[in-house]
Amino acid sequence: MNNFSFSVGGRTLYCLIFLGFIMSFPPLLAKNHTRQGNSFSQQHKVQGTITDGSNPLPGVTIAIKNKKNNVVISDYSGQFSLTSSPYDTLVVSYIGFKTQLVPIQGRSTVNIVLIDDTTTLQEVRVNAGYYSVKESERTGSIARITSKDIETQPVTNVLATMQGRMAGVSITQTTGVPGGGFEIKIRGQNSLRADANQPLYIIDGVPYASDPIGFNQTSTTFPTVTSPLNSISPESIQSIEILKDADATAIYGSRGANGVVLITTKRGKEGKTSFTLQASTGTGTVTKFMDLMNTQQYLEMRKKAFQNDNTSYKARDYDINGTWDQNRYTDWQKELLGGTALINNITGSVSGGSNKTQFILSGNYYTESTVFVGDFLYKKGGSQLSLNHQSDNDKFRLTFSAGYNFQDNNMPAFDFTNDARSLAPNAPALYNEDGSLNWANKTWSNPLRNLNAVFKSKTNNLVANTVLSYEVLPRLFVKSNFGYTNLSTRETRINPSTIFNPANNITSARSSIYINNTTRSSWIIEPQANWSKEFAGGNLDILAGATFQNQNSASLYQSGNGFPSNSLIYNLAAASVVTILLNDETQYKYQAIFGRINYNWEKKYILNLTARRDGSSRFGPGNQFATFGAVGAAWLFSNEHFLKNSSWLSFGKLRGSYGTTGNDQIGDYQYLDTYSIAELPYNGIAGLQPTRLYNKDFGWEINKKLEAAMELGFLKDRIFATAAWYQNRSSNQLTGIPMAGTTGFTVLQANLDAVVENRGTEFTLRTININSVNFNWTTSFNITFAKNKLIRFPGLESSSYSQQYRIGQPLNISLLYNYKRINPQTGVYEFEDLNGNGVISFPDDQQAVSDLNPKYYGGMQNQLSYKQWKLDFLFQFVNQKNRAYLNGVAGQMINQPSRMTDSWQEVNDNALYQIYTSGTNSDAVTANYLYSRSTASIVDASFIRLKNISLSYDVPLQMKETKCLIMLQGQNLLTFTKFKDGDPEFTTMGFLPPLKVITAGVQLTF
Amino acid sequence: MKTSYIPDRLIIFFLFALTVISCDSFVEVDLPKSQLTSEGVFKDFATADAALTDIYAKIRDKGILTGQNTGISCQLGNYTDDLVAYGTPTSTTVSFYNNAVLPSNSDVADYWNASYNQIYAANAILEGIAENISFTSQNKNKLQGEALFIRALMHFYLVNIFGDIPYIKNTDYTKNSLVSRMPAAAVYENITNDLKNAIELLPTSYSTTERIRPNKYTAQALLARVYLYVGKYVQAANEASSVLNQSGIFPLTKNINQVFQISSKETIWQLKAPVSGQNTQEADTFIFLSAPPAMTSLSDNLVNSFASSDLRRLNWIKEVKEENSVFYHPYKYKEQNFTSSSVEYSIVFRTAEQFLIRAEARAHQGDLTGAKDDLNKIRQRAGLLDTQAVTQSEILDAILCERKWEFFTEHGHRFFDLKRFNKIDEVLTGIKPGWKTTDRLLPIPQSELSANPNLRPQNAGY
Repeated sequence: MNNFSFSVGGRTLYCLIFLGFIMSFPPLLAKNHTRQGNSFSQQHKVQGTITDGSNPLPGVTIAIKNKKNNVVISDYSGQFSLTSSPYDTLVVSYIGFKTQLVPIQGRSTVNIVLIDDTTTLQEVRVNAGYYSVKESERTGSIARITSKDIETQPVTNVLATMQGRMAGVSITQTTGVPGGGFEIKIRGQNSLRADANQPLYIIDGVPYASDPIGFNQTSTTFPTVTSPLNSISPESIQSIEILKDADATAIYGSRGANGVVLITTKRGKEGKTSFTLQASTGTGTVTKFMDLMNTQQYLEMRKKAFQNDNTSYKARDYDINGTWDQNRYTDWQKELLGGTALINNITGSVSGGSNKTQFILSGNYYTESTVFVGDFLYKKGGSQLSLNHQSDNDKFRLTFSAGYNFQDNNMPAFDFTNDARSLAPNAPALYNEDGSLNWANKTWSNPLRNLNAVFKSKTNNLVANTVLSYEVLPRLFVKSNFGYTNLSTRETRINPSTIFNPANNITSARSSIYINNTTRSSWIIEPQANWSKEFAGGNLDILAGATFQNQNSASLYQSGNGFPSNSLIYNLAAASVVTILLNDETQYKYQAIFGRINYNWEKKYILNLTARRDGSSRFGPGNQFATFGAVGAAWLFSNEHFLKNSSWLSFGKLRGSYGTTGNDQIGDYQYLDTYSIAELPYNGIAGLQPTRLYNKDFGWEINKKLEAAMELGFLKDRIFATAAWYQNRSSNQLTGIPMAGTTGFTVLQANLDAVVENRGTEFTLRTININSVNFNWTTSFNITFAKNKLIRFPGLESSSYSQQYRIGQPLNISLLYNYKRINPQTGVYEFEDLNGNGVISFPDDQQAVSDLNPKYYGGMQNQLSYKQWKLDFLFQFVNQKNRAYLNGVAGQMINQPSRMTDSWQEVNDNALYQIYTSGTNSDAVTANYLYSRSTASIVDASFIRLKNISLSYDVPLQMKETKCLIMLQGQNLLTFTKFKDGDPEFTTMGFLPPLKVITAGVQLTF
Repeated sequence: MKTSYIPDRLIIFFLFALTVISCDSFVEVDLPKSQLTSEGVFKDFATADAALTDIYAKIRDKGILTGQNTGISCQLGNYTDDLVAYGTPTSTTVSFYNNAVLPSNSDVADYWNASYNQIYAANAILEGIAENISFTSQNKNKLQGEALFIRALMHFYLVNIFGDIPYIKNTDYTKNSLVSRMPAAAVYENITNDLKNAIELLPTSYSTTERIRPNKYTAQALLARVYLYVGKYVQAANEASSVLNQSGIFPLTKNINQVFQISSKETIWQLKAPVSGQNTQEADTFIFLSAPPAMTSLSDNLVNSFASSDLRRLNWIKEVKEENSVFYHPYKYKEQNFTSSSVEYSIVFRTAEQFLIRAEARAHQGDLTGAKDDLNKIRQRAGLLDTQAVTQSEILDAILCERKWEFFTEHGHRFFDLKRFNKIDEVLTGIKPGWKTTDRLLPIPQSELSANPNLRPQNAGY
């Protein structure tokens, strides 16, 4: 598996060749797979068409009752043919429809109309990681989306596909720059350490490390360093399951505390070899600009500021001292962020196979430019292969899947959003008449200088997995999973001398480059055995297995300074000084044993026990091993006699679970007392620096999860509702405790005897509003009310967290000064002096609590279809507070939101904002600082957003076996919010918000 | 189950046997490539020495003494009357210039955290070698002496910037995370003790020709300054004399343009550049080639205060013309770019300061002739006539002026001098609209007050 590699240089070419290969492949070649059949003594040919009443149904399984090896699948026109004996009975089954038994009764043409059966959604098998369960029989809390939901969205990040669609899963996009990241929290923040709240990602059984692969000196474009999750291609995904409660996650033990994201890639389907090609193109623009001051308002502010300060304009106050044209106005947001990103996506796949062997091979290529000025492009592509095979006697099964992806990103090294918001509106033009950058006589730093500071990133990613399984005895399966991942990334950021004003005569001798080379590879082996047996009137399922996992990471961070020419800047050999900032290799080893016992009595009472014992190299000797486990139970009361034939209640289940999971996201080697190599030498000697404060005695963070849930289906499940209540408590908090700098460091890794609780309720409702031959309308709704709370923290008041947390309050709070008013005499903000000492002091007066977690969030999805038309749209809503935009002191040479025009002008003014100052009124500067940390700085940032809309039309074609779909998709098209300062979805101010995307595309299947 | 001859119990046994197979050794990993255990570091003199020299690299690159624009040479220059700041209003340099430094200021956090990190490293060396018996006593003394010197040096700057501060003498974070502030007088007491011990332990010679590691005289030079700051003038004059008596080793460099070169004999201790061919960060911070300057320039106030014949005005200041306006930048360090081999390092202690320390100490003791002798040495080197000052207070005023001209943009001398002479309000109030008397101390970093309640309250005025 690990020698599975592709040429690195020609990936683009590779994809094109691959697509060409798909297109040129004659579909006829693979046709003979479909009509398999054994010869029978009495041969009878049966053919027919399967429809749903109006349209033909492809992919329907037609088998013959009590005859094993005679199964066919209907083709794209819904047709099938097989050989049987004349009085056999056909078993016709298809997901979403009721299985029918059709006696042949000597006929040679049997046309079958399948009847929609929503109840069978309960029959879908849900992936729970090491095992799968029927939706109706699961004891754990598992949310799920499938390719049907993913394909309607013009997005490239796997986390984006889930936004607003799953209860209990909160996802925020952190930047609209392509290649940027998302933040995910499954049922809230469990760990005090902000970067230890990542769920465990598993792709086709292989754990996928989500730790960042970027370096803060190279990936400066994004608010957080590069995440590897962009390497996963949404097109290749069949389903995403999120495991939330103890019953589902305890089998992942130490890594399950923050939930588990299971990604299953697409599998081949038996039947005719089919080809799918899809191409789409579209545009992206900024959702919402801030309302900033225009030149007139801005200059009035500046003039007033100097008037207030009673000072005169200084030489450097170019905007107002006459140096710059005061009649000039530039909308810098429009100028710098107002472009249109072009998006192109092309995907193709070929799939098919016999009933013993199926395959799918797919490829995709995606490009996205930016809304910034300049020629920047994000490219992403890859291919995915999946192969299933089973032996003739069905005892041996093999599944192989491999996905390879590359990303090639080329972006400006700095987001222009901050410049766009802060530049004076009468700042000079960007370009001179001759097209060169305008430096306006050295009176400003042209923001476009940063176009020359380029961030480039290339990432290659391979995930491969093989599962071999063998039925040793009837109902005893032995299997093993062999997985391999390999990721390599190379990022560069250049700082060429051309980012400086050429008049300063700065030459390439001052140019510099930062380079990050990071590789990560891992392997995993998981032998397992699975045994099931009828036992005491019920069914007993036992699973036992072990995990051996090894992950190696290597990072090399370098910088080069001083080049003979800027054209040699990417050649380190040309640098006068090459500095190795970090050269490190780390190893993470992990081993575990796990088991599951499931007992299902008459599909009424189900008990599920799971456990795992984990060992991790991230802990010191004596702390390496720990055991986790959970018990889950379900009662399907709708299967009880008294409800069995209820006309209104079609499904009813009560389930609950309790158990423990852990968290080992602490980084490697943190328990060692070491010195590490310093960045820069002294006197030619590579320095040795103390790495950290030494603490070897830390262990696992423990997360106890409790859940109770009810699932109800009414009127043949046309109305299906679930309600879940959960309470997760994290203790033994493993955290970098902020330390006073007097200790020599500002952080110490240790277990803290603090308890964090996440408690919430999740509701989902799915209604089939209309279900007729031509018109279908389904609505899905989910809402989550979540509350995060710090329950216990002995010694909080004397600890370093004393000004960060409060017992009984969420972790994500802000402690704030209580804003009172503007002093009518001085025009300066005033705050409540809680301790009454006459001055506003820290920390005593900074005690007002504001909760920045969403109160509730969710989404409502509607799927409508009318004949060939399909419309799917999703509204996402979040009720939350966030920080208002504040940048500098109003009156300085920084543009401000136009709302700031309502400033204090004279004694007894009743204004919203304080007196302007050019910066010399130090009372106002201090008050502004306090204001930015006061209750006035927290505003309502709730929003309702048309997150996704997708319209498709299935073009009626006369050509047999060909399907043509025309699609129109949109993302973030409408946003309703009270938030005044740009888009309400952000984690860090000053970065490009998520884009509004519209794409159009065609999908061809033949 | 018709063909199963294997009893179920055996299967169950097999399943659970699988789960028992576990080998603890699997989760043991090798040390990462870039790290050494602390124990290993202090087994070998070379690695212990590398741990020590790294502190100099840290002092050079981060925190108070760095020549980058975040260090005090630049920021306290802006804070007083040496420099004028340009750039965006949100830059830390501009907030220093406006005397509007907030507790959240990142440079202030660096001064605190980087200094205590350097102190931690020094303490770790003292603890690491305390038990070691394999080093020669010469090597051991050298390491201990230098570590004590570093500890005293960093505390000296901290106490002058922040006022009362904790004096940290060990690496025990359980204690150090909750320490309280110590009165400045007690801090000075500790500094003095550490320096006395360092003087005992350090050799009189430099280990290399470049004077890049402190020796006994360096510790004495700092001790002279410490005594001066606390008003122990007899001791200050004595310590300065012990350095100045070594006139063969530390003569004043005659050529004003060679004072800041590597080979300058006037240098008592300098910080070597990381790579051969690299020069000082100060040059990079202060020099601008065209106007208007991007970050800072010398204030007209300072430039105009020099006598027109002052060689320092002519050689340590460079003017840059732009149409009608003229800007000035410090030109003590002249080499901004890479050179084939380095020509300048960042100087922390030099002989001129010892003369002016002794002059001030002598003036306070009433030895006015001796004071004038020392002061005139500096004036003569600058091409100036002997001082006209007669009375004690005239001489002290003359010394304060001389220090302004001699030490501008060098490690906050001006700020500390104005405070010591108690003239800071008088001098700055007229020139700096944002100046308040409480600005004589910088705020304790916000993060530090959050982390350790025992450090509260914040300094007055913040």
